[in-house]
Amino acid sequence: MDAATSPAAVERRGIEFTGNWREYLPIAATNALLIVCTLGVYRFWASARQRRYLWSRTHVIDDCLEWTGTGKEMFLGFLIVIAVLAPFFLFIQFLFPALIARGKMEAASGILFLFYIAIFYLVGVARFRALRYRLSRSWWHGIRGGSNDPGWNYGGEYLGRLVLAVMTLWIVYPWAATRLWNSRWKAMSFGQLEFRANLTAEGLKGRWAMVYLVPLGMLAVVAMIFAIGATFAVTYGGDKSPGFAAFVIALFLLFYLAIPLMTLNWYAAFYRKAAGGLTLGDLEFGFDATTWEWLKLVLGTLGLIVVTLGFGLTYVGYRNWAFMVRHLHLYGTIDVGDLAQSTTRAPLEAEGWADAFDVGAI
Amino acid sequence: MLQGTLYDGTSAYPYDVRVEIGGNAIILTRDSGWSDRIESAHLARLDGGPSGLRLGQRKNPGWRLLLPIEAAPQVEALLGRSERYGRWIDQVGLVPALVIGGAITAAVVALGYVAPHWIAPHVPMSWERNVGSAMIGDFGDLRCRNAEGQRALEALVERVAPGATRGPDAIKLAALDVPAFNAAALPGGYIVVFKPAITESSPDALAGILAHEVAHVRRRHVTEALIRELGIGALIRLFAGDIGADAEQIVSLSYTRGNEAQADSDAIAMLARADISPRPTAELFSQLSKEAGENRGYAAEFLQSHPLSARRAQKFAAAFDPRRAYTPALDRAQADVLFNICWKRPVKEH
Repeated sequence: MDAATSPAAVERRGIEFTGNWREYLPIAATNALLIVCTLGVYRFWASARQRRYLWSRTHVIDDCLEWTGTGKEMFLGFLIVIAVLAPFFLFIQFLFPALIARGKMEAASGILFLFYIAIFYLVGVARFRALRYRLSRSWWHGIRGGSNDPGWNYGGEYLGRLVLAVMTLWIVYPWAATRLWNSRWKAMSFGQLEFRANLTAEGLKGRWAMVYLVPLGMLAVVAMIFAIGATFAVTYGGDKSPGFAAFVIALFLLFYLAIPLMTLNWYAAFYRKAAGGLTLGDLEFGFDATTWEWLKLVLGTLGLIVVTLGFGLTYVGYRNWAFMVRHLHLYGTIDVGDLAQSTTRAPLEAEGWADAFDVGAI
Repeated sequence: MLQGTLYDGTSAYPYDVRVEIGGNAIILTRDSGWSDRIESAHLARLDGGPSGLRLGQRKNPGWRLLLPIEAAPQVEALLGRSERYGRWIDQVGLVPALVIGGAITAAVVALGYVAPHWIAPHVPMSWERNVGSAMIGDFGDLRCRNAEGQRALEALVERVAPGATRGPDAIKLAALDVPAFNAAALPGGYIVVFKPAITESSPDALAGILAHEVAHVRRRHVTEALIRELGIGALIRLFAGDIGADAEQIVSLSYTRGNEAQADSDAIAMLARADISPRPTAELFSQLSKEAGENRGYAAEFLQSHPLSARRAQKFAAAFDPRRAYTPALDRAQADVLFNICWKRPVKEH
């Protein structure tokens, strides 16, 4: 057990999670039932209930957080975004097959290209606005967060940096991801205090290289074993199929294990560094989850879902939040007399954009 | 008299206050002599966690009053219980809400599934033609433009469904040079046949497939599937979270099992009227379903849009009458021309 979870350390921690799964069970169960019985419409209210619980069980310094977002506003936000996007999607949905059916492949791929550009841009906007919305509905000591930036420029930056990353086969992704993190958080505030973020790719490049090098190394080893196996098979006139099967299994391992594992390894470092570089007034943040702990979270969640025949899905949000809070640290002091109310405008469409594109806020 | 903590909503400073709950208001006082009275109509209960109670003011978003848990009975008498599942559900109760919601959901799904069957026959064919021609067009370079082959394909459809390729509601046939074994009825009376379905099956078996697709068009199954897709399909995708994820969905319409069975029965009847043996179709179906087990890819395309089972093959096989004198669907010359429909070189000298 590490120092962070020992009782003595908990006393001194600035932020802690005080909920437990038994207390959350009635919420999880009724949410699941109501979602099923309402064709999924209740999911907005379910998510508001879940957050009210999670926020109220998150103790920061001397008081708990409070979530004031409502299911109604999230539902309306979703409808607003759908009303904006639906005509666009319908148009594409008819135009694209119509062009294909006329044999106009270039026009169809051109449309598809523009479509993906637009989606990319909107995903960036969605991420920004989801964070902004969450801060605007999160209260502590009667003070909330927010942002004065609507996020349209961030969408452009997101698009530009990711296009660059794609063009370099994701090699420059650490630079893109760190700068986007900074842009997003620098636009956010809590009360009158603005967040400061100075994350750099320093110390993250090595881990990103591993995402490429480890699978390539594995591929080389597999190819070698396969070559040796094939030589033996030829020499002794044995059956070739075991070698081939091993090759296929190795490829499977490569894509389904090595790449995600190495990416997780990178993200673990990313979030530790990202939180370490984030400050709000005199408050500093820290995050200490290791790759192994992230892996345990992911595997634990998957196992829970399998063992409970899907009911565990209702605990995904709970587990993620609890994990985040348990690994988050606050350092420094905050003068509550000086922390004044936020003057930012709270967004209307809630998480509609993020919801439509299924992206998270952090 | 209770002790509470007050946040005034302008700063994060926690003020210690004495709290008196009585009548229909809360009275706050401080040692400094400051006092405030808030009517219960302006107050709202918020989720305060297990350690205490939390009140907010409707008109002052950051204002919070934190009370010890002992104040629960008094607060409940003043403000009632806090919101639990959402206002509407709290009013009717959880179980009635689940029952009502479940009934509405079942009704919506049932209606979304059944209603297209009732609506489809009443949709004017001209509307469907407009949708079809907007969606489909002339297939560009994909289409096999061999005029003689096209005539042979039309002749084959005319054999099983006399008059089907003429008149205002004419079925429009197109052979497509696409490397997949498939045939499909599309909105607006289009039937497309992919090249391998022509070159890898006999004219008799192809007649069976085409008769099946003609039945889909005539019974308005295509319209039905289109309405179903736009209605319930869109609704489910909307609340399932991702919209527009599948642009190809429109062309790959799926029919209900009932529709498939009906199209098979119609096809068998059409083959019988035309004196074409149903056996080659049966053999093709059983061969395709067998191939699906061993070698995916080839048959998979066809099976996706036409769920085949040994049962369907048997239905065609059972329709075979050994005492009857069947005639070939196309004569030798026409069959050769049809075989070469996607051949780029002229077939005259063949």
